Amino acid sequence: MQKIEAVIQPSKLDAVKDALVEIGVDGMTIFEARGHGRQKGHTEIYRGREYSVDLLPKVKLEVVVRDEMLDKAVQAIIEAARTGTIGDGKIFISKIDEAIRIRNDERGDFAL
Amino acid sequence: MQLAEGYAGSWLRNLGFATETSMQTNESTARELRSKYLRRMLEIRGAFETGASGSATLGARTAAMDELVQGLWQQAVESDKRLASGIAVLAIGGYGRRELFPYSDVDLLYLLDARVAERDVKNSLRRISQELWDGGIRVSPATRKVNECERFAEENAEFTLSLMDHRLLIGDAALYNKLAEETFPRLLERERKAVVARLMQLTVERHAKYGDTLFHLEPNIKDCPGGLRDVHVCSWLATLQPATDRNGSGSLDDSEFRQAVEFLKLVRCFLHYRHQRDDNTLDWEAQDAAAETGVGLAGSRPPQADAAYWMRFYFRHARSVERNVKQRMEDATPASAPSKLLGFKRIRKQELASEGFRVERGRIALEPVTKGANGLFSDPANDPGVVLPVFTAMAQTGAALSSDTEERLSQALPLLSNNLEEGPTLWNHLQQILTGRHAGTALRAMHTLGILELLIPEFHGIDALVVRDAYHRYTVDEHTFVLIDTLHRLEGPQTGSIAEWATRFGALLRELPHPALLYLAALMHDTGKGRSTGNHALESMRMAQSVVGRLELDSYESGLVLGLIGNHLEMSAALRRDIFDAETVEAFAGKVQTPEALRMLTLFTYADINAVHPDALTPWKAENLWRLYMATANFLDRSVDEERVSAQEESELVHRVAALLPGRKSDVARYLEGFPERYVRTRSPEQVRTHFAMAERLAEDKVQLDFRYSPTMSELTVVTPDRAMLFANMTGALAAWGMNIVTADAFSNRQGVVVDSFRFTDTFRTLEMNESEHVAFTKSVHDVMAGTVSVETLLSGRRKGRRKAPKVVVETRIEFDDEASSHSTLLEVIAQDTPGLLRGLSLAIAGQQCNIEVALIDTEGETAIDVFYLTHGGTKLEKAEQKKLREEMLVAVEENVR
Repeated sequence: MQKIEAVIQPSKLDAVKDALVEIGVDGMTIFEARGHGRQKGHTEIYRGREYSVDLLPKVKLEVVVRDEMLDKAVQAIIEAARTGTIGDGKIFISKIDEAIRIRNDERGDFAL
Repeated sequence: MQLAEGYAGSWLRNLGFATETSMQTNESTARELRSKYLRRMLEIRGAFETGASGSATLGARTAAMDELVQGLWQQAVESDKRLASGIAVLAIGGYGRRELFPYSDVDLLYLLDARVAERDVKNSLRRISQELWDGGIRVSPATRKVNECERFAEENAEFTLSLMDHRLLIGDAALYNKLAEETFPRLLERERKAVVARLMQLTVERHAKYGDTLFHLEPNIKDCPGGLRDVHVCSWLATLQPATDRNGSGSLDDSEFRQAVEFLKLVRCFLHYRHQRDDNTLDWEAQDAAAETGVGLAGSRPPQADAAYWMRFYFRHARSVERNVKQRMEDATPASAPSKLLGFKRIRKQELASEGFRVERGRIALEPVTKGANGLFSDPANDPGVVLPVFTAMAQTGAALSSDTEERLSQALPLLSNNLEEGPTLWNHLQQILTGRHAGTALRAMHTLGILELLIPEFHGIDALVVRDAYHRYTVDEHTFVLIDTLHRLEGPQTGSIAEWATRFGALLRELPHPALLYLAALMHDTGKGRSTGNHALESMRMAQSVVGRLELDSYESGLVLGLIGNHLEMSAALRRDIFDAETVEAFAGKVQTPEALRMLTLFTYADINAVHPDALTPWKAENLWRLYMATANFLDRSVDEERVSAQEESELVHRVAALLPGRKSDVARYLEGFPERYVRTRSPEQVRTHFAMAERLAEDKVQLDFRYSPTMSELTVVTPDRAMLFANMTGALAAWGMNIVTADAFSNRQGVVVDSFRFTDTFRTLEMNESEHVAFTKSVHDVMAGTVSVETLLSGRRKGRRKAPKVVVETRIEFDDEASSHSTLLEVIAQDTPGLLRGLSLAIAGQQCNIEVALIDTEGETAIDVFYLTHGGTKLEKAEQKKLREEMLVAVEENVR
């Protein structure tokens, strides 16, 4: 099992979600996040006052998939979230040792 | 049924073993008792399903339980003689009240005499509980000595409260009498205050857990405000009242309340049977089922009885219970010691008396009915001139209505509706109510009594309306009130996780020139949900149209209200797109059009998200909302000059104006050509028609004025051919009259006709106190503009008053921007707002021979934000010219502040 964590533009959330559902990934966890990578922040001036926009709003999405689904899922996210400009986000992948469904103690791939 | 037969069958089989030991005989008797009880349960359920009342159902289960417990006890005494004396078995809590719901816990108290040692009887008592558990009954047994019952422990107040409903089931009657007649009354006498205080605290905490509202989409009918627990609180508080004031207000016998209690009992039985456990959540499926079977509708089930209809029925009853419990709690609050718990402390200080009513001890009471000289009785409850101020007082102080007042107001409704005035009088009252700090409290009370629907019948459609989605937590009307509460909370200091953003939005709210319009729009925004047309924003806007018409709002005000209602989902929609994308911002700005509308929509969206459910507004959302606001506000100021109406313009805006002037379409198009689009967008077609007519009269008199007076904010529009010093003279004339310009804009068309509008407050109340001065004022402005009187002469007559020290010091900022427009230089000035500032700035501009193409003047609190689009000799300003102008401007600001 693999965990995919994707930090994406909030406006791309629906597209990414739909793309994942389409390939059969229907469980996911979504976080409202703030942060920056190379995109960095900037300063906005509003009515004479300065507001620093150093942490940008992002959405972080976590899905755990069976090993064979990994490439498909990653590709789906990339295609749906890419605009080609700076700030599109990042994807992190890590290995998951075990998954347990609390309700009935199912384990492994069955629990996904 | 199978279960009951199973038990009965095994019991019959057991009859064959007549020679068994007494223990086994006991066991079979216990089984017999249990199976009898289970058969009874099936009969009771059957009776309920064929129409038995809630009370009858509870009474029947209680009786069956009594029989079972008594039987088990007798049997226990037979096998253990130590139980025969010195022990009484009591029913307490709900069981004590004879209110055993189908799956409720059974509260038993084994009361022990001082001589009986608990350890001696422990096993026998445990066996009784065991028997009950085996029969599927959830029993909560307690064992106490009589003297232990006399202690009141704050952390276990529930025990004392459940003891208030005690009842002897079986056992030592003398022992029971000792508790019932001596021990417990003594406890209540001694600890009355502490018990009442703890009970109130528990109730307040429980209500807070449910957001202090009964209007949940899936209410818990036991614990929510207005639920059965509140019915118990009422009866406990009544019992706890000292004998001397038992004749107080808020009667438990009132028939509406009794009906409500009966209804709630019925529904709870229904839920228990449905869920087959003690689950009191009235979820959506249960609502459908209740509506389907017409639970509590007593045979009079109308054909349209869907879940929404049925829920309104539920809410009406819950409201009656809630009103009763609030009343009781308030009666129980000691007069001398204001309760911090209920937040009455602040109110108590504000005792106030007004015509027809007074506010005392945080309660509003109408004056008694009087007999006039003509022999006719007059009740202030019939007089809108008294009733509406009652709610204003409520909105300002947060005080509640006394029960007598509530009663009289609800009875006076028909007469009140006859006496009701509409138009500005009503709007005036409504404004005061809406802008009061406790507007939510007042509006809820008005809604409950039917007065809100009387004033705004459009509100009726969303009365207790349940709209099912997984997101909203409250009914539509309650959502509206929570939204209004949220806006008012922005006025005070902020705490909590979103304090940082709430402070920023709070500053926006304070800067709104017409907060009442925002609140009116908030009140109406979801009324369209009462009609199922699919687009509730549009439907609400249609309904609000007739409301603003009846209130006689002027076209500017109604434009803001209707625009906000129609657009109320637009900002949330824009937040789902990329808010850093210029196109998103531009599209959104195109919808809101003006900074004032933007500010209102931002505040509205903030409160709307928050009113969906308590955790809906996260810091993340608040930050995004702020970003979008900021980007759009900046865009609105910086894009005006670029978008101008062209000669071939066929937009909706042009059509709307042309429609008002049949046959003059080409003249209208010629007039509009070259105006920034913002001019057409921010004016109603009627206003544009007025300006068009003024422009046509320029041949007779080259200065046309349109003056609209209002005590809060007056507006003066001048239509005149463009020339030098125009803006400077106009601002000078207004300054000479002591008028404080709050917002202004200046636009011109291709033909060089200028339309300058100024919205200003009358700082010295010159116009308010002297109606005759209105004419003198317009004449004087006219003369200055026509050049027959010099503005210097006018200004010299004005003595320079001493300036008050500003509350906030605003640093002056002057910025030029050559990118914003293709043919003008944008100049933005941020400075301390002082009277005459605009005059100083425009003189400096005129002094540099610069032409003002567009001016946008705005004030936020103590900050003046003025944007000018300037040209010099028809082109953008050179860097050197900008430098010179900046210096002149700094001098002007400096001189004006001094």
